[in-house]
Amino acid sequence: MSELISIFLSVAVINNLIISKFLGLCPFFGVSKKIGNALSMGIAVTLVMLVASIATWFINNLILIPFEIEYMNIIMYILVIAALVQIIELFIKRTNLSLYNALGIYLPLITTNCAVLGITLINAQESYGLLESIVSSLGGGVGFLLVLVIMSGIREKLEIADAPSSMRGLPVAMLVGAMLGLTFFGFGGMI
Amino acid sequence: MAVVFILTGIALVLGIVIYFVNRLVPHNVKGIEKTEEISSALPGINCGACGYPGCFAYAQALTANPNLITETPCPTAIQSPETIKNLEKTLDVTLDTAEMSKKALVHCNGNSEILFNYSGVKSCKGAAQLLNGYKKCPYACLGFGDCIKICPQDAITINPENGVAFIDQKKCIGCGLCITECPQNIIELIPVNTKITFQCSYLPLRDIPSREKCNSGCTHCRKCFRSCEADAITWNKDKAIPEFDIEKCTLCHKCVEICPQNTLADYTETKVNAKATAG
Repeated sequence: MSELISIFLSVAVINNLIISKFLGLCPFFGVSKKIGNALSMGIAVTLVMLVASIATWFINNLILIPFEIEYMNIIMYILVIAALVQIIELFIKRTNLSLYNALGIYLPLITTNCAVLGITLINAQESYGLLESIVSSLGGGVGFLLVLVIMSGIREKLEIADAPSSMRGLPVAMLVGAMLGLTFFGFGGMI
Repeated sequence: MAVVFILTGIALVLGIVIYFVNRLVPHNVKGIEKTEEISSALPGINCGACGYPGCFAYAQALTANPNLITETPCPTAIQSPETIKNLEKTLDVTLDTAEMSKKALVHCNGNSEILFNYSGVKSCKGAAQLLNGYKKCPYACLGFGDCIKICPQDAITINPENGVAFIDQKKCIGCGLCITECPQNIIELIPVNTKITFQCSYLPLRDIPSREKCNSGCTHCRKCFRSCEADAITWNKDKAIPEFDIEKCTLCHKCVEICPQNTLADYTETKVNAKATAG
């Protein structure tokens, strides 16, 4: 149990996907203008990560390892994740329209998100079991959600800040991102 | 070799699974039938030109308010009469494509005095960084063709006579990509049934008489406004430019002839005769 908690915390805060692994930087700057959007994106990413890590664990252990073709994992994972997200989208669209509208454009967008691919590759690299994979991907999603929401909160305030005109928008967001990264270093020696 | 077969096999299985999921998920969900119907009548290429994220989102907005199609029309659908016919049937509205369809037009005659010999990066955006471009008028077409690169229809060429981008009105689909690409902001979407066009963009700097800067820029002399016998021209005082009423205009060409700077052009001729009134 304690091992699972340590995996969760490690992926969520200490080795955060965005802050220390630099994965998923595109939504980090693209979707962090409003807290509402950031929340939808974070939830969608968490959901897809969870499903993707379960599916790729089976692919990895039932196909890739027995046939000794682990080197094909990136292309195989992309294929599986893309198809999975399509299925999820079809399903949500017909069963829960309000959820579909809330996730909106983000669900198809994250089919090729590198954070989603990254967490599945990390799981394979660390040779986690099924339960460990699930916990690790949940941690990755929660960490992603956390950073995205913090960042969007700061950026909502930044919009009204009196920054020099050349720094307004993305440049100042980059600086804030760097400072946010520094604060996450504080978690460094936790485990 | 085995790898190829495994990968192909997985892809095939996934494709079949997606197909069956699509077949098996409930199709007649309450409250979505109308949206589904509209969505299938739309082009379905998810271009986003209507301002909504994808065709399904646009269909949802149309379900709530069918009149939206005249306010924010689907530019892709307008190009094909068949799609428009289907949309009319599903939405139960009649559409006037001539009114909705828009084309991009460059508002510049290219006669602005040249300030200096620009020899930097061959792009409008680069040239615009330096003193608002190498031409005296800050709203002049710089002619490096940033718009040519972005145009999906290859409708834009540079007119060699005046160095101004020329948009072929027959090829233009009104997607508006060139508008955001132009650093000088001189391209505008105009309705297809426009009769007379004002070929100058010189409005925000109205305090400075533009004849000092351009040989064919509007001097705000109002001759067109006074010459019109059909009351089709109104003088916009805030912008100091003439505005044209499509309904009242009789295409008598009085304003076109009287304009001392040749800033007015007959758009119906531009549409038909590609090269004659270029720029």
